[in-house]
Amino acid sequence: MKAPRRTGLLATLLSWGYALLLAAPLYYLAVSALKSNIEIFTRPFALPATWLWENFGTAWLTADLGGALLNSVLVSVVAIVLTLGLAIPAAYALARHDNRLARVITGTFSAGFLIPPFAALIPTVVLAIQLGLFGTREFQMLFLPASALPLSVLLLTQFMRTVPPALVESAALDGAGHWRLLVSVYVPIARPGVASVTILQLLTFWNEYLFSLTITGTAPDVRTVQVALPTLISDATNLGVLAAGTVLTVLPVYVAYSLMNRRMQEALTAGAVKE
Amino acid sequence: MSSTSIRAGARRRGVLWLTVPSLVWFAVFSVGPLAAMFVIATLRWKSLLYEPTYIGVENITKVFADPTFHAAIRNSVIQVAVAIPVMIPLAFMLGYHLYTKPRGYRVLSVLYFSPGLISISTTGMIFYGVLSPNGGVNGLLGTLGLDSWATAWLADPDTALATLIAIDLWRGVGWTAVLFAARLASLPAEVIEAAQIDGAGRLRTMWQVAFPMVKDYVRTLTMLQFLWTLFTSAALILLLTKGGPGTSSTTLSYLVYAKAFAQRDLGYSQVVGVVLLLFGIAGMFLIRALLRSREEDTR
Repeated sequence: MKAPRRTGLLATLLSWGYALLLAAPLYYLAVSALKSNIEIFTRPFALPATWLWENFGTAWLTADLGGALLNSVLVSVVAIVLTLGLAIPAAYALARHDNRLARVITGTFSAGFLIPPFAALIPTVVLAIQLGLFGTREFQMLFLPASALPLSVLLLTQFMRTVPPALVESAALDGAGHWRLLVSVYVPIARPGVASVTILQLLTFWNEYLFSLTITGTAPDVRTVQVALPTLISDATNLGVLAAGTVLTVLPVYVAYSLMNRRMQEALTAGAVKE
Repeated sequence: MSSTSIRAGARRRGVLWLTVPSLVWFAVFSVGPLAAMFVIATLRWKSLLYEPTYIGVENITKVFADPTFHAAIRNSVIQVAVAIPVMIPLAFMLGYHLYTKPRGYRVLSVLYFSPGLISISTTGMIFYGVLSPNGGVNGLLGTLGLDSWATAWLADPDTALATLIAIDLWRGVGWTAVLFAARLASLPAEVIEAAQIDGAGRLRTMWQVAFPMVKDYVRTLTMLQFLWTLFTSAALILLLTKGGPGTSSTTLSYLVYAKAFAQRDLGYSQVVGVVLLLFGIAGMFLIRALLRSREEDTR
């Protein structure tokens, strides 16, 4: 399959113009991370005259980014394990059924996919308080999987539908129960789907901000890195330190992306291409 | 039918209970809070620490008489009415361009993709630096000798909302373009190639051949971007303008947040929340009607 290769001048200009617009703030961020406030203003896009590496140390200590990164890792990992633990059995059940009840359940998740989580922010805070989990990381570990379930179940079901019936029959003939079928037939075949869901939802969990801010809160021992970063803003913000902190926060994501950009791009487009 | 498939059929019955844990989870953490909004909207509840009392529709009359609410409606309408009609066609054209694999398309696609990796709080911090009075934009204008254009972008009532919309576009266009490119690449290439061999121009091929083929997908992405823009603006506004100056950048989404946490009026907040939800549903129906595909009518 060869895509057409004719290119209009206008399209070229437009596409690179927009690329420049995307790159400029990222470049500005990277060079600002090594400058003082004065230099940021006087020579905004130039390379730093003296490279202020200590901005990174200052940001790390001021916002306690080390602790915050650990909290983010903890919340994201527990949440993804829980998400997969809930979604994989559900997807298996939905892939093996095509009756009215299964369609109703699929329909519920499809509708749920459209509800932006923000819609119910305040009642969710109330729920956290009633469960006695306000101001804890545990609530986020329980809540994030719920917001991720609709898309995860739907994507995994699609992948599990591709399991050839003959394979299931022969496994059943060997006396395999549901558990064996799930573990040794369905999950291996749906592995690209499991990988996509894991990447997609890990990124979503890692980047979650508003619920973490309002429910887990800003206490240094529990806050995630997304919540810790904006604490670098004050009445006299050191823009260089802020930029350094921002670089440190996005670095894990970009490292992951550079290691597996193709897989990651597939996973993230799958999230929106789902239909 | 062989005996094995009958046995497999028997085994198959009753597996649906495996969906129960995820349904319960979804009900407790997603559906429950969504339903609770409608209840909280009828309560006088001054802060999470106090006991609420039922006051019926009193919150609704209060909200609808409040000028801040009117400003929030206006700003939200402006935000989606500008951001979405600019974002979707632009993203489709750029996505089509990426799909044709022009020179350097790998670099382009990595760049277009990158805002999708960055969290809202990081985006906020990047633009806090770029747009601050001593930041990159004003510095650039100074270098170009356009000092008179420089302003405190986020603290000027004339530019605050427009700046936030520009950030929505910065984030949204490239990411949506990558999604369109992925979708176009999944279609059979013959039709588009045939159109080009027939001598159809670039613009005609793009809009009259490629666009109808992905129209359903355009509709889906338009809805998703609409919902995202409408509902999630609170976070960026909280980080960058706090709805100000005055109410110049207060959207419905931010008002829901601010009333609950800064001004301690949960009933008010949730009336706005319900309005936001209805606005979202109405917008989805509108988008569906506007982007109805012809095949669907005859199908």
